[in-house]
Amino acid sequence: MNFGTSEVNTWCPGCTNFGILTAAKNAFSDLVKSKKLKAKDIVSVTGIGCSSKIYDYLNTNGIYCLHGRDIPVSIGVKMGNPNLEVIAFGGDGDVYAEGSAHFLHACRYNVDMTLLVHNNQVFALTTGQATPTSEDNFKGKSTPLGVFGEQMNPIATALVNGATFVARAYAMDPDLKNIIKKAVMHKGFAFVDIIQPCITFHNNRKDMEKRMYKMKNHNPKDLSAAIKKSVEWNYGDKGKIPMGIFYQAKKKTFENSWPQERVWFKKKRNVDQLSLFKEFE
Amino acid sequence: MDYTVIVGGRAGDGVAQAAETLGKTLTRLGFYVFNYRDYPSLIRGGHNFNVISFSKDPINSHREKTDVIIALNQETIKLHSKKLKKDGIILCEKGINAKKSVQIDSEKILEEIKAPKIIRSSIFLGVLMKYFGHDLKPLNKIFSERHGKFLGLNMMASKRGYDELKGKVKKIGKGRKGKRYFLTGNQGISLGSIKAGLDMYIAYPMTPATPVLHFLAQKQIKHDMLVMQMENEIAVVNAALGASFTGAKAMVGTSGGGFALMGETLSMQGIAETPLTVYLSQRTAPGTGVPTYSTQGDLKFALNVGHGDFPRVVVAPGDAAESYKRTAEAIYLAEKYRLLSIIISDKHIGESHYTFDNIPKLKKVDIRNIIKPKKDFKIYKLTKNGMSPRSVPQMGEFVRATSYEHDEHGYTIEDPEMTKKMNDKRYRKWKFAEKEIMKMEPLTIYGKGRTTIISWGSTKGAILDTMRDLRNVKFVQINYISPFPSKQISKILKSSKKVILVENNVTGQLGDVIAEKTGFMIKNKVLKYDSRPLTKDWLLPKLRRLVK
Ligand SMILES: Cc1ncc(C[n+]2csc(CCOP(=O)(O)OP(=O)(O)O)c2C)c(N)n1
Ligand code: SF4
Repeated sequence: MNFGTSEVNTWCPGCTNFGILTAAKNAFSDLVKSKKLKAKDIVSVTGIGCSSKIYDYLNTNGIYCLHGRDIPVSIGVKMGNPNLEVIAFGGDGDVYAEGSAHFLHACRYNVDMTLLVHNNQVFALTTGQATPTSEDNFKGKSTPLGVFGEQMNPIATALVNGATFVARAYAMDPDLKNIIKKAVMHKGFAFVDIIQPCITFHNNRKDMEKRMYKMKNHNPKDLSAAIKKSVEWNYGDKGKIPMGIFYQAKKKTFENSWPQERVWFKKKRNVDQLSLFKEFE
Repeated sequence: MDYTVIVGGRAGDGVAQAAETLGKTLTRLGFYVFNYRDYPSLIRGGHNFNVISFSKDPINSHREKTDVIIALNQETIKLHSKKLKKDGIILCEKGINAKKSVQIDSEKILEEIKAPKIIRSSIFLGVLMKYFGHDLKPLNKIFSERHGKFLGLNMMASKRGYDELKGKVKKIGKGRKGKRYFLTGNQGISLGSIKAGLDMYIAYPMTPATPVLHFLAQKQIKHDMLVMQMENEIAVVNAALGASFTGAKAMVGTSGGGFALMGETLSMQGIAETPLTVYLSQRTAPGTGVPTYSTQGDLKFALNVGHGDFPRVVVAPGDAAESYKRTAEAIYLAEKYRLLSIIISDKHIGESHYTFDNIPKLKKVDIRNIIKPKKDFKIYKLTKNGMSPRSVPQMGEFVRATSYEHDEHGYTIEDPEMTKKMNDKRYRKWKFAEKEIMKMEPLTIYGKGRTTIISWGSTKGAILDTMRDLRNVKFVQINYISPFPSKQISKILKSSKKVILVENNVTGQLGDVIAEKTGFMIKNKVLKYDSRPLTKDWLLPKLRRLVK
């Protein structure tokens, strides 16, 4: 199965989103081939933005949500049927701006899902405004005088709020497929911030590539080491960018928080009216 | 003949619990009881009171003139003594300054029987039972059914109270034989959702919808459902859509503010056609308003919530029994037609207790609209009646739901032809649904007469009770406001000698809806908007003037 569709692709030629699409399709194929995943269980949930157009290009179950709401919809899917494998795709505008509250809580809840953020440090679909991760001195269309304030550090944020799989990857890295596979197989909230330069509105691809390096000798079981690593690059500065898995841990998941058997659509009930009202006689 | 008891005290005195116990006791004695709860938005201190009106005949609202005041604090006297009937009596705590009062030293009794403060109201219930000429059996039976822990103390307390009162009695006798139900609108909403086979209730606490969250949370294991509180109403409604996508029947509950936050997602429901039910419990707005009080201010908001044109069911129960029936129907309609269903109620219905004889009859409401799909399954198939088949993940084919305009498979489109076709499909479906809804008692007519009183929702109780004292008057209650029963309403209004609109809001919102749907402009409006519900005492003189 290749998970492609015949929809016309409307990303700019050369857009780094293609890297994520290919990696996701290949990751799904590998997992299905090796029987670790059933195709019918996959649900791709997207927000709104260039990134989220991936909804039309992936042949899986899918929900194309509102801007910023891919996370709560994903959580709902898991509440509705915990046996489904939810992969949420969104932009940095989606997840770190419009849906930031949901991001914090999904980490806390440790929902068993995967969140892939296409981080191009810009609102691309709305033609180039600043996001919470645009770097210092970025001048977008709405911020000609430059961005203000500190950047949000989503890696550090995820770590201190309880996410149990936290990674940073690069859209054009062939290894992205493997990180996605690990994220999908992880039991718990798996979050990957994917550096995805927008070649039309924020073309820092060459510069970013030069600064990225893969973490070596980092122990992903060590939360304090991960937090320390996460602030090495703060999205604003021109420093080196550590790449790879910051942290992975086993913890109770959202899905294991209730005793109810939860594949609801198969349930049949026959509620007796009289006994329902008994306590109100 | 009806009687009224006011129980008042500080928040934390257990006033609401005592009133519920009393209401239930009186129901078991054969009376019809209406229990109104009035409390400010605070947890300790302040002033809380309940008004319990009861009668041998059906009663649907509370009275202002009172036979008994049970005062646990001085404030109760200050606020309510003016309402005491000539032959009324005040039962109060020793030391409270009040005329015509029987003073009870409850502190001393509690000390003697070594009971905590919350038992205090049981002493007064004992006094009251004696005053009404009844023994303690029905009261004690309710104690024994309720609190295991304090059963003995409650019984001792009521006995001591019973013995305190000497001489004074007002025998109320017994009401009618037969089984009766005593519950709040919020309990009705909860039971209706269980009856319809709800799988999931998701909410963020907001008065006056919160009791449904609490009730269902307590019952989730028993009724095999899931109840979740999430970080805000936006998360709540989006999670509900996600769950519904997988085939779970999902409902969310909130009041005006939370409903506003849900708006964008309710609009997504319109295009995604993923079934969803919303319980909107109105409180006094705008803004934070008067949060624990009642106004019917959100009708037009419910009818128009969400950007763009899309159909939605808006159903308005008028009491606890209807809350049960209409909730079950709303969930059924959402599931069957892949629609948004909004149940619009308010603080007054939600937190008042009503008494009724029979559980409303329902058609088969617990359905699942899920098919096993064939190859090339189209979840947005263009069909003659606009109903597209629905399936869910793991049933065989991939399924999609989207906030974008889409083709039949759910892929994004922007072309004008398909955009129009999809809009037409959604409104064909709406026409189709309308046919069934018009058979579900979209309006109810009470009484006969050339003068028509027209209203919706929580005003029903006060209107029905007021009508008993008016002649040649009928009352039309509109239950389904979307779709609107235009033809029937138009006919009734045109053939009436006089039409009077009664609403618990500032502008007469139903009047505007009627004008929009029928072209009929109602001139006579009786509107109350002081954040308190209508009562017969308030309404009767106003209607008398208009009816003549
Ligand atoms: C509630 C709401 N506000 C604003 C928009 C407009 N909007 C569409 S996409 C977008 C930002 C996209 O940026 P991002 O999420 O980073 O995705 P990208 O296009 O960069 O992949 C915005 C603001 C919207 N669709 N909905
Ligand atoms: S605008 Fe940027 S993110 Fe969007 S498709 Fe073009 S290159 Fe890709």
